[in-house]
Amino acid sequence: MLVKLTLSSMRKMFKDYLVLLFGLTISIAIFYMFQTLAQNKAFVEANSLISSIMFVFHVGSFILGFITIFYIFYATSFIQTLRQKEMGMYMTLGAKKGKITQLMFFETFFIGIISLVVGIIVGVGLSIGISDLLMQQLDFSVEGFKAVYTSSILTTVIFYIILFLLTSIVNAWQIGRRSVLHLLHAGQKQDFVKVSGVKTFFGVLFAIILIGIGYFAMIEIEKLQQLGVILASVTIIPGTYLVFISFLPYFLKKLKQNRQLNEKGINSFTLGQLRFRMLNLTKVLGTVAMLIALGLGAMTAGISFYHNIEIQSSMFHANDVAIHQPTEQDLEALKSMDVTEQHTYTYKVTDDGIYFLKNKLIEDPPLVQAYNAQFELPKKQRVEDKLPASSYSLQEDAGSEELPENWWSAISTEINASYNMFGSTSVYVVDQAKYDEIDANDNEVILARVEDFKADIPQIEKIDKGQAQIAEKYRGEPVENTGSKFTNYVALKSLASGTIFMGIFLGIAFLMMMASVLMFKLLSSAGADIHRYSMLRKIGVRKSLLKKSIYRELFLLFLFPALVGLVHVIVGMQMFSFIIIEPYTKIWIPISIFFVIYGLYYLITVHLYKRIVLPKEK
Amino acid sequence: MSQPVLHVNHLNKVYGKKNENQFHALKDVSFDIESGEFVGIMGPSGAGKTTLLNVISTLDQSSSGTIEIAGTNITAMKQNQLADFRSEQLGFIFQDFNLLENLTVYENIALPLSLKGVSTRHIKPSVMNVAQKLGIEKIIDKYPITISGGQKQRVAAARALVHEPAMILADEPTGALDSKNAKSLMETLVHLNEKLNTSIMLVTHDPLSASYCQRILFIQDGQLYKEIHRNTTRNSFHQEILDVLAEFATSNELE
Ligand SMILES: Nc1ncnc2c1ncn2[C@@H]1O[C@H](COP(=O)(O)OP(=O)(O)OP(=O)(O)O)[C@@H](O)[C@H]1O
Ligand SMILES: [Mg+2]
Repeated sequence: MLVKLTLSSMRKMFKDYLVLLFGLTISIAIFYMFQTLAQNKAFVEANSLISSIMFVFHVGSFILGFITIFYIFYATSFIQTLRQKEMGMYMTLGAKKGKITQLMFFETFFIGIISLVVGIIVGVGLSIGISDLLMQQLDFSVEGFKAVYTSSILTTVIFYIILFLLTSIVNAWQIGRRSVLHLLHAGQKQDFVKVSGVKTFFGVLFAIILIGIGYFAMIEIEKLQQLGVILASVTIIPGTYLVFISFLPYFLKKLKQNRQLNEKGINSFTLGQLRFRMLNLTKVLGTVAMLIALGLGAMTAGISFYHNIEIQSSMFHANDVAIHQPTEQDLEALKSMDVTEQHTYTYKVTDDGIYFLKNKLIEDPPLVQAYNAQFELPKKQRVEDKLPASSYSLQEDAGSEELPENWWSAISTEINASYNMFGSTSVYVVDQAKYDEIDANDNEVILARVEDFKADIPQIEKIDKGQAQIAEKYRGEPVENTGSKFTNYVALKSLASGTIFMGIFLGIAFLMMMASVLMFKLLSSAGADIHRYSMLRKIGVRKSLLKKSIYRELFLLFLFPALVGLVHVIVGMQMFSFIIIEPYTKIWIPISIFFVIYGLYYLITVHLYKRIVLPKEK
Repeated sequence: MSQPVLHVNHLNKVYGKKNENQFHALKDVSFDIESGEFVGIMGPSGAGKTTLLNVISTLDQSSSGTIEIAGTNITAMKQNQLADFRSEQLGFIFQDFNLLENLTVYENIALPLSLKGVSTRHIKPSVMNVAQKLGIEKIIDKYPITISGGQKQRVAAARALVHEPAMILADEPTGALDSKNAKSLMETLVHLNEKLNTSIMLVTHDPLSASYCQRILFIQDGQLYKEIHRNTTRNSFHQEILDVLAEFATSNELE
């Protein structure tokens, strides 16, 4: 009988259960998406630039697991909110406590299992969709990624079944423990969080210490290695939650105590809304902050790796392209590029050597990369060394002087007059007299810098093909790598693409989960808020004022975790400073994209929430 | 005589759209309430009392007829004007108390003042003043969930009174109270009515509560049925009310 009643009332609250299913499903889908990477060892190891990547994924699984546990406990407690009044009613009508407890257990577990099935299907779909999209958009071919991965499905199923068993037990236990009266009045009950100045002070202090240690570990990751990763995750996560748990209630209490503020217009209500479900709120905000940190972090790191390709491929070359013996097509390609600097040098080729004309070099010296032992982008500088002798050689040679270092790198790297181009033939720089003595044709090489290397890649690729043919002629063997900036770029890109893929893939996943957590928080409390707004409208609050209150309440809800998450990301990028040359280059791009999307999401959420809670009227 | 605070003229209320099952809940109702008057509305369940109150309180729209409150025709007003009007001119005590459970008693009472933009300096004295009158100053910092039903009722009354509205509209305010609390609430209303000259319109089923009024309108099936004035002591007025109600009962039996 009771079961029948339960089922029928579940049908009545279909919308609420849909909200819950949505929240759980997304969490499961994201967990699965993460596992498709974390468990696919062959793929991950083959595609990562980070040496102990598997270890990073293990830690990642742990972090995600931790957040998920927090979230699932929060989400399933929503069932309690939905049901306790009714359960209380059954109990006043004589239902046994044991029966109610049982009912709660099975209901929670049942919903868990449904969402598990749907979640895995959604997870597979998302994995396929996002990976396809990324590979297309970024022009990558990432081999070995499998959107349907059996062992990941298994892990997800086992993890969630255990989790749902636990939450079912907790839900059942909590319902069973409460008095009938407590259940009947549950909807009006305030989550009290006792705040005292001293407790807050130590809470915040402790949180700051924890986060400080974590930041230190991230900054010193090169020394601490794996220990640093572990240290950062076990300090920053609890630290983040603690910030919200200790600081937020205190902060709101202080705001409320400010009479001027609290008693102005509808402020007391807005703040009251935030305070009303404080305990849940701190959990949600902690979770959202962590997810923003992880998602934005992964995304930013991925995009940083992407920019790093270009930066790192400019490590050795100050110029973007060197064209030996340019053809008509080469010249045309060059014309269509946005060239900022161009030099032409002449040389002669004999069987014994390659001879560059000194005067041309000195009259119009190129830029080179200054040598530097650090792992950072070297400065460009113009070659200024004088060349007084009549003949210089790149290789050690008895008859000639050794070239000064900058000229050496200008010839062998920038102009690419090295083994890559000419095989083992010696290279010389000679004065006009000597040059004239050599019995061979004049050859030209054009050295050019362009405004935007990436934009001109199609042309540069064509040029590079021609250069490879020239190199083949001189070296007498097939040549794939001409050693040009372009070939460096291609090599780096194929190395980094896996890492970029993982970063962006996970970034999207985490941010989606973040969005679903916020949405869930809102939708799950909207039902209870409706009567409060209609009450306010009745006593004569203008609709515009109610809207303002909603905008403000949600703004604070969105703002706090975003700030905390952002700081985590900015410090966290330090972790990559030993593998990415300038991890902060263009970091504003992913961050501003994030804030634009986040802002839009805020507006959408406000709109949705308004539609639910504000009284309808003509 | 003074100007009426409420002037209801040929008021009709029909529930349901055209072509649908329509229900005529108020039929051609006309009456006045003078400024400073304390009027009770009585009638059997389903007679249209709450409907009348909702229409007068601008929470619901009338189908035809006019309502003027303090000289303003509210039937012609827009939603936002109505909201402002409610917050300035009217005080409500609803059938269910409708306190905001996320605010303390103090904040609940202070809300109408905050909304009016009263400065913080003046809010506290006003709130404490009504709280004292209603005997709830001891629970001022509690949340609604932790106070009794009677206390909630008094908080709701305090919130309705704090901004000194032109008129108080109360729907069965004593419905959930024991006789002692009911009596104390009614005495507060009388006190307000006499000392502050606040006009009050009160819907009630309870003859004893009704006996505190100066005049009682009886409605049945959406129509004004009878009107009685209190000229004697409260006790004999009480008896008079009981007689009218008995009349109702017999007329219903005859049908
Ligand atoms: N929203 C509505 N739609 C249709 N009919 C309604 C609506 N609200 C009330 N009614 C009908 O109008 C009539 C008057 O209802 P009203 O609530 O005014 O009665 P009441 O006098 O307050 O009764 P009670 O003493 O039981 O509270 C009733 O017959 C009721 O069924
Ligand atoms: Mg009624």
